[in-house]
Amino acid sequence: MRFILSRLLSGVAVIFVVSFITFIILMMIPGDPALLSLGTEATPENVEALRDAMGFNEPWYVQFLEWFTSFISGDLGRSYLYGEEISTLILQRVPVTVSVALLSLLIATPIALFIGVIAALYQNKLPDVLARTLMQIGDAMPSFWLALLLLVYVAAGSSLFPISGFTPISEGFIDSILSILLPSFVLSLGLMGTMIRIVRSSMLIALKEDYMLLAKMNGISKFKTIVKYPLRSAIIAPLTIIGMQMAGLLSGVILVENIFSLPGLGRLLLVAVQQRDLFLLQGIVVVIVSTVVIINMITDILYRLANPTMRIGGRDE
Amino acid sequence: MKHLTKIGTSLLIAGIFLGTQTASAQDDDTLNMALSVDPDGLDPHRTTAASTFQITNNIFDTLVKVTPEGELTEGLATDWEISEDGLTITFNLRDDVEFHNGEAFSADDVLYSFERLKADESPRANDFANITEINVIDDYTIEFVTENLNASLASDFAYPWTAIVLEENEEELRNSPIGTGAYALEAWVPQQNLTLTKNENYFDEVHIDTVEFTMMPDATARTTAMLSGDLDIVGVSGDLVSQFEGNDSFQIIENQSNAVQLMAMNLGNEFLSVPEVREAINLAVDKDLLIESVFWGYGEKIGSHYPPVLLGYEDHSEAYAFNQEEAVAVLEEAGFEAADITLDMYLPSDYQSYVDAGQIIADSLENIGINVNIEVVEWSVWLSDIYTGRDYDLTVVGHTGRLDPYVLLARYHSESSENYFNYNNERIDELLTDVQTELDEDVRYEMFSEIQDTLAEEVPALYIQSPIGLSVTQANVRGYESYPIDIIELKNIYFE
Repeated sequence: MRFILSRLLSGVAVIFVVSFITFIILMMIPGDPALLSLGTEATPENVEALRDAMGFNEPWYVQFLEWFTSFISGDLGRSYLYGEEISTLILQRVPVTVSVALLSLLIATPIALFIGVIAALYQNKLPDVLARTLMQIGDAMPSFWLALLLLVYVAAGSSLFPISGFTPISEGFIDSILSILLPSFVLSLGLMGTMIRIVRSSMLIALKEDYMLLAKMNGISKFKTIVKYPLRSAIIAPLTIIGMQMAGLLSGVILVENIFSLPGLGRLLLVAVQQRDLFLLQGIVVVIVSTVVIINMITDILYRLANPTMRIGGRDE
Repeated sequence: MKHLTKIGTSLLIAGIFLGTQTASAQDDDTLNMALSVDPDGLDPHRTTAASTFQITNNIFDTLVKVTPEGELTEGLATDWEISEDGLTITFNLRDDVEFHNGEAFSADDVLYSFERLKADESPRANDFANITEINVIDDYTIEFVTENLNASLASDFAYPWTAIVLEENEEELRNSPIGTGAYALEAWVPQQNLTLTKNENYFDEVHIDTVEFTMMPDATARTTAMLSGDLDIVGVSGDLVSQFEGNDSFQIIENQSNAVQLMAMNLGNEFLSVPEVREAINLAVDKDLLIESVFWGYGEKIGSHYPPVLLGYEDHSEAYAFNQEEAVAVLEEAGFEAADITLDMYLPSDYQSYVDAGQIIADSLENIGINVNIEVVEWSVWLSDIYTGRDYDLTVVGHTGRLDPYVLLARYHSESSENYFNYNNERIDELLTDVQTELDEDVRYEMFSEIQDTLAEEVPALYIQSPIGLSVTQANVRGYESYPIDIIELKNIYFE
């Protein structure tokens, strides 16, 4: 319990600090939202009047405090760009990004586990060489290129996949999965390389452990031993990086969301930065940071469940 | 292996399910279009984005409309009259118009809309500062009094930003606007899709019931969707149009735009303030090659700040024709060593073609020995530092066209806040002041022609081209026309 509580508190602190830093950085980077909105027609008087109307002429700490107090009360404010509630905009997009991220993890994890374990069992033999080649390809293939190839040759060539857009689950589960299958596949390939590598190496280490020898001496079959001991530690390895990769996934998501015209958080973030929609950007960053913090927390807890020796100091409730 | 079998089985099941679904047939009552850029809100008085006006122009009406040929025609106003002194314009309004929510349209809405357009935080405040008084004469008559004579007064009421809005809708204009236009907004999920439905009470004929815009930021995705029949109309760039050429299922529509693309030079720079240096820069660049390689040949070469489609165009496209030896000679004669000149070029990252063009120009300048440092900046930085701050030496950008040449050229006035060239020529200042009050059209166009000649000679910029816009439609689409101001009239489009 104490462990969970302390993780929770540090999570809240991270969210506060990150939102504060984002705010400061946005204040400092060049580019004026008022000027952007007025374009090449602006006069200095226009810009001043619009800055006033947008509330950007207040000191930065007043703006931040105003934002933070309303954030605490659950109000993210209105997007200047779209005139819409920021929470509405984010909620519209969360299902898209979350489904893409989850599906890509669902594709990547079993495949990576399977290949990684096989590669470790047949170290330096043909399956291992093939697996390592696959890792290289997964790492080296530019995802934008793969995305375009899939779009032009798979999506356009068959009526299975829509070329653009997202079908919500409410309009049919299979249609929904199909609308994100190709982008998820692109993302999963990027994940797989790292995952296979980690599974393979942790499996190799586990195979060399003394208990393997002990099990062999006790006459337990190799298959049984592997399933019971090294495989368990091999599963923990990708669990940790899933947490870390979630953050990395988001940057990949921006790219595939653009190519497959998926209305997800990544694209919203991009527009918020380009258009200097300060509060929208703040809102998205806080939501993303919170997600990563929560996922890390969950992986931490899962980690401890999967491997009792990880429990801090060995004692546990 | 068990895993794999399971995956295989589920894929098989998915396949069976899908096999029973057939691709939806093309719906005659729905027009499918793609948008590459999301609208920045749907408030026509608070945006400058052409992509936004392409939508709002169908939701709202203006007092005056424009024909594809550039002539003014009736909109919400049936006719108008300009007083003898040219200072007052009186509009007679339609009495049979309703807003999408059923509210009747009257002169008060016009008054409200123009007051809002003139407000300080409006990007057009400056354009309409000349209007000093707006008088509602009766429900369907309204007059505008101007301070200074403006020979092109009526055309000011045709731009899509002069849309008539409803006062009670003010708070929601950005996301759920109510207008009088041919189409009403049905739904808008930013970055996803935007749906317009036909206004059944519209005073003019509207063909298609529903227009569905899908946001597709990627160009390959747009062409792929067009090729597979998911879209009816799409804008394409020169490199992608070849996929549609020679295919009878599509029509390719070329539209000579009235925009001008150029490389601006900052005359505040010690070298660029010298006319010979600017001349040498113009001589050093092969514009034909530039248009061919960056814009795939879809552009009309220009030599001054004036698009060929605009009335009164003077052809200066061959002025300072490409000749790098002459460029070096001009520099030497003026006493400059090319290697001593170093210039900073800033390019807006949001516009790939300007970045590409800038790189080719920089190469050409390095060929004659001038050093160029390229920096690619975000559009917001470009606006604040380059355009407004005038902190640059060279930059490549485009300027959208206008119906009246004065508005196009006004930025060359030495005191204009839009004169980011820091160009200063007394004769030009005088012409730009006089042309506003000159009522004789012939004399006005003589003045415009003198301004064009001067700009072509003194070259405060390297004038590159006026682009040709390319659209592709399915073969059965009719009534899709291009207009001299960047708008789409959806009501005229129909399927054959």
